[in-house]
Amino acid sequence: MSARKIVVTSGKGGVGKTTTTANLGATLARRGHRVVLIDADIGLRNLDLVLGLEKRIVFDLVEVIEGRCQLRQALIRDKRFGECLSILPAAQTRNKDAVTPEQFAGVVRQCGEVADFVLVDCPAGIEGGFRNAVAGADEAIIVTTPEVSAIRDADRVVGKLNERRLPMRLIINRIRPEMVRSGDMLSVEDVCEVLSTELLGIVPDDEEIIDTTNRGEPVALDDTSRLRTLYEKIARRLEGEIVPFSNLDQPGFFGRLLGALKAG
Amino acid sequence: MHELKAESPVVLTQPAPTLGRAIVVTSGKGGVGKTTTTANLGTALAQRGAKVALIDADVGLRNLDILLGLENRVRYHLLDVLEERVTLDDALVTDKHSPTLFLLAAAQSREKDEVDMEKMRAVVAELRTKFDYVLIDSPAGIERGFQNAVIGAKEAIVVCTPEVSAVRDVDRVVGLLGSAFRPQLIVNRLRPLLVRKGKMLSVDDVNAILRLPLLGVIADEPEIIVSTNRGEPLALRSEGATANAYRAIAARLAGDDVAAPMVEAKESLFGRLGSFFGGRR
Repeated sequence: MSARKIVVTSGKGGVGKTTTTANLGATLARRGHRVVLIDADIGLRNLDLVLGLEKRIVFDLVEVIEGRCQLRQALIRDKRFGECLSILPAAQTRNKDAVTPEQFAGVVRQCGEVADFVLVDCPAGIEGGFRNAVAGADEAIIVTTPEVSAIRDADRVVGKLNERRLPMRLIINRIRPEMVRSGDMLSVEDVCEVLSTELLGIVPDDEEIIDTTNRGEPVALDDTSRLRTLYEKIARRLEGEIVPFSNLDQPGFFGRLLGALKAG
Repeated sequence: MHELKAESPVVLTQPAPTLGRAIVVTSGKGGVGKTTTTANLGTALAQRGAKVALIDADVGLRNLDILLGLENRVRYHLLDVLEERVTLDDALVTDKHSPTLFLLAAAQSREKDEVDMEKMRAVVAELRTKFDYVLIDSPAGIERGFQNAVIGAKEAIVVCTPEVSAVRDVDRVVGLLGSAFRPQLIVNRLRPLLVRKGKMLSVDDVNAILRLPLLGVIADEPEIIVSTNRGEPLALRSEGATANAYRAIAARLAGDDVAAPMVEAKESLFGRLGSFFGGRR
């Protein structure tokens, strides 16, 4: 069976693409899938840090593409997950022009030969780095936060992915239920309506993420984590199971958003 | 990638009194608060009476208009100016709240590769003849969009959150900028409580790596999200810690003698940081 190749993207930076890639990948690995995570942010890599693997990098994505090493030499296995989780780090001292979309797609295909899931962590923006990251994918996860600016950028990305006929689902990250209730934050419903994209998951804003990210420990490893079950739900939905959504939010109204998005 | 250079060694001294200061707001990493900083700092400078132009350099993913609540007033954009379809005066949108604050919006349906960098430099130069400050809001990344944002600038403000990933990206950007831009640091989204609990990098931790002049520290407050969604920069408020912090940054930037920003005194927690910052690569 061939691997699922999924790009994790957003348009806007800092909404949680890398955190999502790491935690979802770790959760899938813990559920027994073989997972390869690819950091497509050439020049500004961070996926290695979020997983605490930064000291183990020997070779990178660009060196694989340039034929200076084998893929298996560049893949870093995260031993906490047995044989199940590996990352392919981005080059840090090169930039996104060092690779073409065709070359990138080739690496994704190669990773797919040794995995059940390949998750590609896309850089911010909609330029070359984005075109590389989506090149080998056959589905997409869009990560957004409930902020007008993030949603406008996500909407741009939805348009770009539609052009490519890439099926996509949405993760709404960093929601603060109390702010949704007070009308100070867009609700899940608002966001889904604007982006007209199927919902894959909802993750609240939780300081646990700051700490685990700084320590390089994905929440999937922590049995006491509040967020762990949420990533598990997302993983199960990806596997095809129908998992009901937790009642994190109340329907809200934010008239300005629609106006802003139409203006843009 | 070609090396970034400031136009001339003149940038090492104070800019000529007749020309405004062109400052790029950048970070490498996305989502650390470049646009929020640009909107609030621009507002705070304008509230001091300065004439300020803000340029959104994030062609294709513009957002500065939203943060200022100006999205319905944008008629022309940066590329219209660069491609000489309209004049600068036509394209500059006057802010709703601050009459001396102006926005040059990015094009939303174009791409960063379409920006003519020499023309971008010329537009910033022209703005410097008319404004005291030209703040350029850089997109995330270190590619073309970053280069577009930097080309006309003479100084840099780098925005960093207290996260290892942001510190690493900012360090890379500071390396690319070099000393000509005299980068100054704003530490954004600090949660002092988490710092005290040992769960977040402190300002000292961040600056132990970056070693930059500290322009200011902004705490992570939910009201920032509210202000983004409403299009009303917090710097407009007459009181409040965030508004005061932006005013202090504006004053420091203007050369006023302002007390140093709040920095928690404590030893560095994160031994991890040192390991991948052995040398700036």
